[in-house]
Amino acid sequence: MIRINEARKTYHTGTVEVKALRGVSVHIRPNEFVAVMGPSGSGKSTLMNLLGLLDRFSSGTYVLDNVGVSELSDNELAGMRNQKIGFVFQTFNLLPKMTALKNVELPLLYAGVKPVERKSRAMTALQQVGLEDRMCHHPNELSGGQNQRVAIARALVNDPAIILADEPTGALDSRTGVEIMHIFQELHRKGVTIVLVTHEQEIAAHASRILYFRDGLLVGDEIVENPVDAGQTLASSVKEVSDI
Amino acid sequence: MNLWESVTVALESIRSNKLRSFLTTLGIVIGIAAVICVVAIGQGGRAMLMQEMEKFGTNIFYVFVNFREGESTRLGDFREVDARVIKQVVPEVKYMAPVRYSNMTLRGNQNESSAQVVGTTADFARIKNFNTSWGRFFSEDDNAVGRRVAVLDGALAIDLFGRGNPVGERVVINGNPAVVVGVLEEQESVLGFNSQQTVYVPLSFLQQVTRSNFIHELVGSAASKEDVYRAMDRATSIMERRHNAPAHYTAHSMEQEMQSANKITGIMTLVISFIAGISLVVGGIGVMNIMLVSVTERTREIGIRMALGARRKDILVQFLIESVVLCVLGGIIGTMLGYGGALLIAKLAHWPPLVSWWTVLVAFGFSAAVGVFFGIYPANKASKLDPIEALRR
Repeated sequence: MIRINEARKTYHTGTVEVKALRGVSVHIRPNEFVAVMGPSGSGKSTLMNLLGLLDRFSSGTYVLDNVGVSELSDNELAGMRNQKIGFVFQTFNLLPKMTALKNVELPLLYAGVKPVERKSRAMTALQQVGLEDRMCHHPNELSGGQNQRVAIARALVNDPAIILADEPTGALDSRTGVEIMHIFQELHRKGVTIVLVTHEQEIAAHASRILYFRDGLLVGDEIVENPVDAGQTLASSVKEVSDI
Repeated sequence: MNLWESVTVALESIRSNKLRSFLTTLGIVIGIAAVICVVAIGQGGRAMLMQEMEKFGTNIFYVFVNFREGESTRLGDFREVDARVIKQVVPEVKYMAPVRYSNMTLRGNQNESSAQVVGTTADFARIKNFNTSWGRFFSEDDNAVGRRVAVLDGALAIDLFGRGNPVGERVVINGNPAVVVGVLEEQESVLGFNSQQTVYVPLSFLQQVTRSNFIHELVGSAASKEDVYRAMDRATSIMERRHNAPAHYTAHSMEQEMQSANKITGIMTLVISFIAGISLVVGGIGVMNIMLVSVTERTREIGIRMALGARRKDILVQFLIESVVLCVLGGIIGTMLGYGGALLIAKLAHWPPLVSWWTVLVAFGFSAAVGVFFGIYPANKASKLDPIEALRR
């Protein structure tokens, strides 16, 4: 699915050179749920931008879904982002003037999908995240958790090869965060490949594999034997509430 | 993403910022309204002028001595027979009349007044499309036998005889009595060409009174508008041959008068529309200004769209179409305002309101062009944003 070899990224800010990635090689297989962890400045955000084709490596190779993306033009990269990648951001990044449905339709708009099909696919995606009765609401009429679910629906709608989630629970309270992780785990069970950046161990514990970054290098790569099941957490917390 | 969808996106964005969109496009609205208004008024005024001038007959031409070249009119330069010969020889000439002008004192049964006396032949009335409200114009016979008859214009008739029909009354012209045979209908004109009170008498009568055969000029009418220039040329050359006086005569027509009037009003309309057009440019700069602000404000939106798969071209087209739609909307409102303004002014000035379809088309095209021209820079700026930077905002 994703194969990165000796990836390096150097930023030039004025006269200072910042080596954000200093030779990273990762292989992510289909249907993996990978959490990327590390302190700020470790290169994990840079890695996400590069995986998401928003930026280019200084050197190294990147193969996404059997396509070598290093030689692609800007337009081809835009097409790849549209077709292969679904983004979920910490701050949701929905367009405030549009309804949930219109927001979810947006990737299909750039894919050239006809309006009728666009609408039905967007509705299906919203159903998948349990928001079928909030489709005509604007982001300011929805809670943070609901907004993040709209964003996940938007990431899903183009049936991407991989979902990239950058601190998707960072702006949410812990319970809503668990709800979001529940959705991710459901998607993972259905066969979606997910890469998730977080600095919270509890969140990362939901993934099936964790990558640790430090100073632009991959310093740890471990398989999670028994990932936390968000569904159980939710069920037990409901029980706790009902116990009281 | 096809064009129609881009327009829909642009309209949505304009709708979500109603007040700002309106203020942005106000410059375009005013510019287009001003241009439409000015052109309509110009064209209406011109049509009015032409209408007025056509009342005097577009086929009319005058043959006179070429005083512009330093020639002067002498006794014998024009003879009554010249007019008859030209009329017979030149097929393009329909009527031809000799004219002698004079200023004399007239006395009726009520009053005495100074007026212009025109001595001519019966053709003159046909050339000038005269109608009489009472009586008749004098005939060929009246002139041939030197009958002492006179035709008054309406204002002069009232002045000399008070109200009523003066036909058959006696009018004394410089001490020479004559019989009034007709009163002319008033030829209404905004331009005020016929302001002087005039009496028309047979040329032979005027020659008797003044004891001189002097004739000022010949006036004729061509068979049609298209024949005027040929008629003028041939009449002039006949005069030159008959009097053996090359370059002594020249001719002038109402048609030429109309053409120069047409040209002047056309130039004036152009100049004023150009000035009005400057406001369009100012409006365009306003649009560019706001589009630049909009790009800065919507940096994050641009970043999101890019992350979701928008190509740079898609972003460029989105902002460009927004600017064009804004300007074209301004153009539509401006056209309606301009049309209303033109209608109002035309009503006040009593002339036909003329908003031609090409004016509207040009206004539309121009506002769209303003949209493209002033939108391309902000749109280009938007499309050149770095998605990572844009998302960080």
